[in-house]
Amino acid sequence: MAATLTTKAPAPPRKLLASRRTRAGVLYALPVVVYLLVLFVYPIFSTLFLSLKNANGSFTLHWYADALTGVNLSVLFTTLRISAETALFSLVFGFILANAISRLKPLWAALAMLIVVVPHFISALVRTYGWIILLGDKGLVNETLTGLRVPGAPFQLLYNELGVVIGTTSMMLPYTVLLLYGVMRGVDRRLLAAAASMGAGRVTIFRRIYLPMVAPGLASAGLLSFILSLGYYITPALMGGPKQTMIATLINQQVTKENQWNGAAAQGVILLLLTLAGLLLVKLVSSLGASRRKRSAS
Amino acid sequence: MMQPRSTIAGRIALTAIATVILLFLALPIAVILVTSFSNNAFAAFPPEAWTLNWYKALFADGSKWPTALTLSAFVACLSTVFSLIIGVTAATALTRGELPLRSAVYALVLGPLVIPQIVTALGLFLLFEPAAMLGSPLAIALGHTVLASPIAVLILIATLRGIDERLEDAAASMGAGRLTIARRVTFPLAAPGMIAAAIFSFITSFDEFYISQFLSSVDTVTLPVQVYNSLTFDIDPSVTAVSAILIAFAVLALGLVALVRWLGSGRQDSLLSVENTVGVTTPGGEAV
Amino acid sequence: MAEFGIAALSVTPVAGARTTATGKALSVVALRKTYGDVVAVDEASMEIAAGEFVTFLGASGSGKTTTLMMIAGFCEPDSGTITVGDRDVTKLAPQKRNLGFVFQQYLLFPHMSVSENVAFPLTLRGVSKDEIRRRVGETLEIAGLSGFGGRKPRELSGGQQQRVALCRALVYRPPVILMDEPLGALDKKLRDQLQVEIKAIQRELGLTVIYVTHDQEEALVMSDRIAVMRNGLIEQFDTPRELFERPRTPFVADFLGAANFLPGRIEQHTDAHTLVRIDSSGGLIKARRHQLPSGTQVKAAVQPGRLRACATDDGFCTGTVETATYVGTLVRAGVRIDGGDAPLLRLEVPAGRGPVAGERVGITTDPDDVNLFPTEQAG
Repeated sequence: MAATLTTKAPAPPRKLLASRRTRAGVLYALPVVVYLLVLFVYPIFSTLFLSLKNANGSFTLHWYADALTGVNLSVLFTTLRISAETALFSLVFGFILANAISRLKPLWAALAMLIVVVPHFISALVRTYGWIILLGDKGLVNETLTGLRVPGAPFQLLYNELGVVIGTTSMMLPYTVLLLYGVMRGVDRRLLAAAASMGAGRVTIFRRIYLPMVAPGLASAGLLSFILSLGYYITPALMGGPKQTMIATLINQQVTKENQWNGAAAQGVILLLLTLAGLLLVKLVSSLGASRRKRSAS
Repeated sequence: MMQPRSTIAGRIALTAIATVILLFLALPIAVILVTSFSNNAFAAFPPEAWTLNWYKALFADGSKWPTALTLSAFVACLSTVFSLIIGVTAATALTRGELPLRSAVYALVLGPLVIPQIVTALGLFLLFEPAAMLGSPLAIALGHTVLASPIAVLILIATLRGIDERLEDAAASMGAGRLTIARRVTFPLAAPGMIAAAIFSFITSFDEFYISQFLSSVDTVTLPVQVYNSLTFDIDPSVTAVSAILIAFAVLALGLVALVRWLGSGRQDSLLSVENTVGVTTPGGEAV
Repeated sequence: MAEFGIAALSVTPVAGARTTATGKALSVVALRKTYGDVVAVDEASMEIAAGEFVTFLGASGSGKTTTLMMIAGFCEPDSGTITVGDRDVTKLAPQKRNLGFVFQQYLLFPHMSVSENVAFPLTLRGVSKDEIRRRVGETLEIAGLSGFGGRKPRELSGGQQQRVALCRALVYRPPVILMDEPLGALDKKLRDQLQVEIKAIQRELGLTVIYVTHDQEEALVMSDRIAVMRNGLIEQFDTPRELFERPRTPFVADFLGAANFLPGRIEQHTDAHTLVRIDSSGGLIKARRHQLPSGTQVKAAVQPGRLRACATDDGFCTGTVETATYVGTLVRAGVRIDGGDAPLLRLEVPAGRGPVAGERVGITTDPDDVNLFPTEQAG
């Protein structure tokens, strides 16, 4: 308020009864803070502590050693690999679809968006089950391929990495489509038209103007997809074979079947750290993109 | 709209690929709906004969589905109530007035949306197991609220931001006390947003799997866990019918939200865009 | 050196008005508000009589809005008191003060119809349903909005919405109605029209109004008295005519009419006038009788509309017309005075008698229209 008094610009509309609000604000924030501290933050810390405790209660790192060796290590690598594949495919398909939608007339665009968004709100279990029906030996896909006399049909589309990636990509796609659609809408089309007016061909425009502008958004979307896929359990467990065990599957097994809570805790922490590292990367990329835009605007 | 002109061939190719991708998204859902009426629930497609058996079997004696459905509905109702309370208070704190450490509180609220769901579930398991609360519907509801309340908070923040705060000043200038203002000005304007927050909290809880699985016992099994068990152990063919019903629910719920948005339009600027709501579902696990 | 404007108690309500109360409607004593180092309102005091239309006039940052907000209760003063009627409301929350407020952004409740909006304050006061219906209908009719009761705010134009906001503020007949630049969001034509309408409603109902604006013309058209504010201080609190013809500070003189200031020195006093020797041209100008002693450096202020062009021998100075702009009924002329540092005088004369660019003219004026200020006086 002090600043506005000395300038000539009119003050923006402000809530007038602000002074009496601070006390109320703290009171209103109490429920959510207490709730999440008790039921969210504390459990995470107890997971952390459990992962560092031996059977007799002493400090140990051997759970982490366990988690990073042998079978567990290969599971970790599988997780990273499958997540990377999922991120790549959902990024590419998402880009194509988002691009297409942005060119559609509003009615068709809305319809297409509906088809993208509605599955997102349907349980992952249901969607995975749908894929199981589709990809079975006698499922729709194989029947169609066999009917079209495609050589090699019917294919093994389930209980292998192909099946898992198909499933996880389909889960991730709505996310990437929406993220990329947002990025694309943020591109000022007039810049592209300006380039065309200066003689740039379509490929050039795409390569040297469009792509650099959407690159940070693309990177963020790809990274986000990767991070989200890390924690997937339902789809890999239902659509994959033993070789497609992901870290979340391991955690689940150790809790529900093997009673190895400490081991599960260690792996949970590893997954958590991977997620946080990924998020940091996303933040870095988006701030890089923002600073680049600022430099070009000044 | 100034866009570089695209060729006919380019457009056809794009539309073709886009259609394929859209099919990719829609087929799994469509196939469930169709198969639920087929007499051969698993293998063959297209179905040889149509039947309602699987739906009838849901309510047959010995079917586990009604119990699971009731439990899920009950837990979801509890979670919704908890989430709304937390959501309204937190959103008020974050949008109105001065809150010290506001960004810290905001980060805390976003936490459950950002951490992998299985990690959250593991933590809750470790919390409730020593307390011998495994299998308690209340525990499951409390766990679901951890995931659902951030969503409610985000929706309600958008709702409250869309209501001009100074309307409350106007009411005060005419003599309305705090309670009257909340009752006759803020609440009616926030109602559509609260309904949307309730619906999304309900969906989140109803479809939640990880926490439900870790916190369930032999007797208390929520619907998603039952579906999972059917797909891995029981091979209960009625699972297709259940899945079809779940799809119908989800579509209904989304339709309701759209209806509420449309009815409440003109009261405030933007309640929630579709982009906002999708961005708001739980990452860290398959969505919802 | 600015003044505190403590106005006379006895300002009679406008003749012919249906006043519901007489006497003092509102008084403010030594109201002060600071934000950190900045003094927003510096010891403002005034008394407003029932049925008066008072305007706080000033630029952004002058303290006019802050003062209004303190009277309304949306802002707590650091010190001072606010009295409505015979009630001290300084410590009361806004809802307890029983004042009316019209906001610049209208702030009509979007989920209520026009009638419901106007009825809202009455529902808070336990008025019976029939009575509410009657009063709402009556009020809407006064504002020319009969038949609009069922509409929603978003279906109305800006002008209509502002009228509804006004109805809502006066339907419960508060002793004082506060208005915060209510016409700021409207275009000129609508503003002029609503100014007249608001003034008419105020007159007919005998309302006491405090109006805030930065638009001098608006203030002059509507107000019984105007408080000209600058940097948190009330420079002068007077009727429009007094402010225009007898400004107490150079700032007031300039703010209301973009006055011309001619530096000079008091040469002598006569019975009726004071004679000032102008620095630049050496001419002698006759001003109203002023008590400052001879020899004092002064600024002679004259409004552009009160200067006249005449034959070169007849005026107090001579000059060449540099610019003459035709603006409808007037000609705005800039006349470069001979001699010294050749200041530029601004004239506004009726179009028919306007000087022409390049013409050599003399400048004259009525002594009664010349106000003197000591040179040290800030302005």
